[in-house]
Amino acid sequence: MANKLKFLIMVSLNRKIKTKWFVIVNVLLLFLIVAIANIDTIITFFGGDFDRKEQIYVVDKTDSSYDVFAEQLAVVEKSILGRDESSFAVNLVTEEEYETFDYEEIIEEEPSSIIIYLEPSDNVMDAKLITEVYLGTIPQQIILTSLNETRSIIALLETEIDEEELAKITTPIAVERIILDEEKDSDEEMQAAIMSTVFPFIILPFFMLTIFLVQMIGAEVNDEKSSRGMEIIISSVPPKIHFFAKIIAGNLFVIIQGLLLFLFGVIALFSRQLTPSAGITDGISAEINNILKMVLDSDLGSQLMYIIPLTLILMLLTFLAYALLAGILASMTTNIEDFQQLQTPIVIILVIGYYLAIMAGVFTGATFIRVLSFFPLISAILSPSLLVLEQIGVVEVLFSILLMIIFNFLLIKYGLKIYKVGILNYSTTGLWQKMFKALRS
Amino acid sequence: MLKVENVVKYYGDFLAVDDLSFAVERGEIFGLLGVNGSGKTTTFRMIMGLLDYQAGDITLDGRKIDYSVTDKIGFLTEERSLLTKLTVEQQCIFYGVLKGMSEKKIRERAPMLLKKFGIAEYWQRPIKELSKGNQQKIQFITAILNDPELLILDEPFAGLDPLNVEIFKKEILEMASRGCMIIFSTHRMEHVELFCKKIVVIQDGREVLGGEIAKIKENYGLKNVFVNGENIKKKDLETIDGVVSVTKNGDDWEVKIKDISYLDNVFASIKDQRIYKFLLQQPTLNEIFVAKVGEKYGE
Repeated sequence: MANKLKFLIMVSLNRKIKTKWFVIVNVLLLFLIVAIANIDTIITFFGGDFDRKEQIYVVDKTDSSYDVFAEQLAVVEKSILGRDESSFAVNLVTEEEYETFDYEEIIEEEPSSIIIYLEPSDNVMDAKLITEVYLGTIPQQIILTSLNETRSIIALLETEIDEEELAKITTPIAVERIILDEEKDSDEEMQAAIMSTVFPFIILPFFMLTIFLVQMIGAEVNDEKSSRGMEIIISSVPPKIHFFAKIIAGNLFVIIQGLLLFLFGVIALFSRQLTPSAGITDGISAEINNILKMVLDSDLGSQLMYIIPLTLILMLLTFLAYALLAGILASMTTNIEDFQQLQTPIVIILVIGYYLAIMAGVFTGATFIRVLSFFPLISAILSPSLLVLEQIGVVEVLFSILLMIIFNFLLIKYGLKIYKVGILNYSTTGLWQKMFKALRS
Repeated sequence: MLKVENVVKYYGDFLAVDDLSFAVERGEIFGLLGVNGSGKTTTFRMIMGLLDYQAGDITLDGRKIDYSVTDKIGFLTEERSLLTKLTVEQQCIFYGVLKGMSEKKIRERAPMLLKKFGIAEYWQRPIKELSKGNQQKIQFITAILNDPELLILDEPFAGLDPLNVEIFKKEILEMASRGCMIIFSTHRMEHVELFCKKIVVIQDGREVLGGEIAKIKENYGLKNVFVNGENIKKKDLETIDGVVSVTKNGDDWEVKIKDISYLDNVFASIKDQRIYKFLLQQPTLNEIFVAKVGEKYGE
């Protein structure tokens, strides 16, 4: 019987891998992943006026605000975007030019121009912001913050505060970060913050592979069942062997596909080192590189030493659980359409886990999310996320693993009873009674 | 020998098979007959070990049928059991290995059988591209690939033209001559008469008729007399004592009599006419089947 199990696994696996579509899809995936990793290079390759700066025309009727505004604009832009080179070109409209300055003419010539009127008022200074169309959120945030800062400084200057005092007030505050837990430092805190953003993207392939797994097992079982080939198969091998063959083959497939995705990711990173990046996406490019550097940095290495194995164990156990669940549900259905209906709740559970993992960074310390991180079907997504955010420790993750093992054991124990009955059942009438009866048997 | 003894099968409260018994000897072709839903497929599934039963016993050569003996059994299901995305080669290897054969042996035997059935050129073709008849041939080949000791055929001739029926018949008879036990279910009674020595007719899971076909016919009572001659009239035949019915069958009158003892009455009533034909025939199995199973068969 062991030979038959091995044979069934190989047949099932070959049906998935030894197909032209498997090759085509993976070639496409490789191209897409490399393309995503180099999207900035691709954008610049096709050309565009990326060096062009946004023109800001300042009509300063206060006679004293332009210099302060120009200075604040540079400071605020740097603090928000983290780069030295400004994307704005600030032009002063002098007093002599007031009469002849026609903003409509400027905008007609250059529709992206930004016109700012600075006018004296009871509130020190009022401003008028004119553009042809909507202004982007970030430029708007930079300009409004700069205007507010400008007004505050002008107001302080009007109080005849000396320059030394003003410098003290406008200089960014120096913050010394102290964390009492000796095992933690502020660098790790930053890494954790970055990982909370990055981790959901790392687990995205797991999410996709789980969906693949569920659909594949459902389709395969239904294919054999609807053709009545199942009777020939089950008359030759026990349902238990057939069930395990499907589960093992499905899991082997997602492991192979997962390794291929990892390989494609490495190739994409390598290709990134080979391609020049330039132009408007410099900032994005630098941030991606920074994050990658941070993730691969040796400081994080010590954490990754246990995060990666624990995550992999949880993922493998979760693949197994979803495969078992898919096999059991597929045995109860009589066609692929019915199975697709039944798999919807499975997908929703996965989606919930994925969103909770993203939200975990926002709702730090939320008991609800913490408790759900032990829930078997989503713990592979949620537990490592909380571990990265240091909201839970290794012990909690080990407990999640233990729960997953118990959950899989129960799925095998009770699921097999349902599978044995369901696999040769072609009727939809009294289905649930049959299943409950099988469970009681 | 396959022995089915007093088997009872319930689906919930529904009695599907009621105290069914029969035996099939080596080299014997046995007919399991019944209308749709009478319990034939359930019986086949119980023999194959696919279904449990509440009472009775099913044994092959004295051993209860389990996965240690199913490699000796070939099974052809009524509905298509082929995985149509596979090629003929993949399908043969898949079912063959599940029946305990080595790939090497399958690659030797399957092409030989394909050749025998006139479809050798389809070895590499996907099953879904084959005609219904050729798919049935592939299904039959996969059922006999392991040269089974017990072969279960549920409606083997479905979708076959007369020429292919002949090829199947030849193979089935050959297998029986080699000692294979064959159980066979069909709605075509002429096939049963041709192949089977023994039959069981079941209705609502219960045996309504069983035994050797010759004895069944002998004991059935009603006989058919085919009469042809000059001035023989239907109304004269109908008035003869012991005549049940008179129908035109080609140029002949088919006279059904209650039993053999009334044969003389028929002959006495027409002996003064010029007679071209006076032939006594046993009833067909189809007549007996319809008479026993009743209206349900016609539905």
